[in-house]
Amino acid sequence: MEQHSEAFLDNASKALKNGEQAQRRDRITSLASQIRAAAVERFEEFDGLKHHIKKIRQHSLDNLDYYLSQFEKEAVHNGSQVHFARNSEDLNSLVLDICQQHDARRVAKGKSIVTEETGLNSFLQSAGLSVMETDLGEYIIQQAGETSSHIVSPALHKSANEIRELFQQKHDLGARELRETSDLVVEARDVLREHFLQAEVGIIGANALIAENGYSMLVTNEGNGDLCANLPRVLIICTTIDRVLPLAEDATAMSRLLARSATGQLQSCYTSFYSGPRREGEIDGPLETHFVLLDNKRSNILSSDYREILECMRCGACLNHCPIYNSVGGQAYGSVHSGPIGSVLTPLLTSLEHSHLLPNACTSCGRCAAVCPAEIPLPDLLRDLRHEEGIKKLSAPRWRYGLKLHSWLARHPSIYQTLAAISIRILYQLGRKRGGFSKLPFASGWTSQRDFPVPQERTFTQLYKAKMKQSNER
Amino acid sequence: MSGSARSEIFAHLREAGRGESEENIQRERLSLGSASAPAPPATEICQAFILNVLKNQGSVACVNNRAEAVQAIAHYLYPHFHNYRLVTGNDPRLAAMPWRDAGVLPRFGSLEAGEPVALSFARLGVVETGAAVTWTSKANPAANNFLPEHHIVLVDKNDLVPTMEKAWERIHHALEKTGRPRGINFIAGPSSTADIEGELIYGAHGPHRWHVVLLGDVPVDAQNIARAAQRNQC
Ligand code: SF4
Repeated sequence: MEQHSEAFLDNASKALKNGEQAQRRDRITSLASQIRAAAVERFEEFDGLKHHIKKIRQHSLDNLDYYLSQFEKEAVHNGSQVHFARNSEDLNSLVLDICQQHDARRVAKGKSIVTEETGLNSFLQSAGLSVMETDLGEYIIQQAGETSSHIVSPALHKSANEIRELFQQKHDLGARELRETSDLVVEARDVLREHFLQAEVGIIGANALIAENGYSMLVTNEGNGDLCANLPRVLIICTTIDRVLPLAEDATAMSRLLARSATGQLQSCYTSFYSGPRREGEIDGPLETHFVLLDNKRSNILSSDYREILECMRCGACLNHCPIYNSVGGQAYGSVHSGPIGSVLTPLLTSLEHSHLLPNACTSCGRCAAVCPAEIPLPDLLRDLRHEEGIKKLSAPRWRYGLKLHSWLARHPSIYQTLAAISIRILYQLGRKRGGFSKLPFASGWTSQRDFPVPQERTFTQLYKAKMKQSNER
Repeated sequence: MSGSARSEIFAHLREAGRGESEENIQRERLSLGSASAPAPPATEICQAFILNVLKNQGSVACVNNRAEAVQAIAHYLYPHFHNYRLVTGNDPRLAAMPWRDAGVLPRFGSLEAGEPVALSFARLGVVETGAAVTWTSKANPAANNFLPEHHIVLVDKNDLVPTMEKAWERIHHALEKTGRPRGINFIAGPSSTADIEGELIYGAHGPHRWHVVLLGDVPVDAQNIARAAQRNQC
């Protein structure tokens, strides 16, 4: 998996300077958070359903070998071909093999984070295939040569103006101006429609696999995944081994949580179940359907203390509610996965050595855990990763010594309190007249965005002690 | 490669797993029971279904019988297209409808370029989500559900089920006889996207209008809700 998380701090600093992008991000994620909150409130049993799905997911992961082989058996019974991929290379070459067996030149892709993880597009392109992303957001970033900035809305970082300019560059527009957002959507729809009709292979992802009947579940609003699944001659469904649920009703029960958490809907426009080729007498549909099931360290995560992360349903709520994600945006993370979920998953799927900055992209505010429909204790997992980072001595020495010093002080409260009282007093004396600091040593990041307020003359502990003394004397 | 990958992956999974017997696993799943579903927006089933279809930005017409259904479809087609043409699958239930009486000209088959509207006969309607369920077959080409600009779906009142759990019960039961199709689709509204600055636009790839014709003995209150919404949508 390609990732550039080492550059997180630089990327974050740059992103903080892009005020327009930050405002747009804030507007969209706050709207998504409000829509989610309203949908959750309307569904009285939401918490009960969360607990139920949690138990089902745990049960499925506890017995994953059983359910995965049941899924395989049923999918084969439906006429599908099931392949297993240990890692990105396996998945990419399996998919290329299938394309080559069918002399395919054009591939239409629905949204699939798994194939972003494996870098499938560039692999197929270097073998001479034309690969077109068909989810609107994915299409936009593919045309722009950029990476996704949000699990649900990949092009969230781009303004309508930027997208208009992009289409002006890439499409033959003639006299069309594409003034409204709806014009942009129609433009992409027309270009992609052609591609759908010509593609020989369709590739889609899956939100779940169902053991009892061998179907995959795909949830979309655009319906592009369904065109990929129904129009080309060959369908390839790429997903990971941990997506299996025992029953069809478990998958749709999970979709209740997913739709509400992601977009506040009762159900996404299209919830579709696929398995097997066109049946006798049918006039459309693929002639072959393949499942390619990727491990890529999931089986290791399964036996680790981080196994709960596999229960993620990719709703994006933790991103929408994360102050760090909202400040720096998804691209700063330098990984396919961003936000709280990305900060846990990236180190586990790549290595902590290369991505140890991500678990530090956390204020421990706990909002992600509060909204996660999969009840994943994201802040705890992030803390555990930071703990590992400490043990492995991965962070810069000045951070480590700084933290050591802090921990020593925290264990010596009287010294801590004395030092705090002295520094607060100095700040008070220096800033009393100005009302705030526009610059402070060791805090240039903070003061670059806002003034540091002048503290009161005495610390809370000093005031508290004085108060206690007074009341004891009385 | 896939063969050895398979055995490697399963070996890892067995190590991580609890090694329970099939019987125990199934018993445990059974003991977890079914999920809770959201309360419907109305107690009467047609009303609840219509309210959720409207919530999904669909429109609804209520009809008592097949003759009225054909009339309602004609009423929908003319203002939009100034003609009475549509495409529909080779579904015997649709072939038997009195199309001529309302002047509707169906073409039986799969949607082709330049044809803007298709009709499907839903297998089920799910009240909880305001969705129509179809599955692929000779009689229901997938293109008719996903490619037209306007998608009209006929839903029989007798095929309404309250929840997705009940929908699966009915689907599994029906498929026992026919075998499993390659695709089962729960469709809830026109195709949409909010990928550009969060602005919601209909007709991303598939239909930008989704019209449900609810067939059967629909109570007057429910009919009124559908009618009032249609007046607003016009
Ligand atoms: S971790 Fe939870 S909140 Fe975040 S994307 Fe996954 S399911 Fe949604």
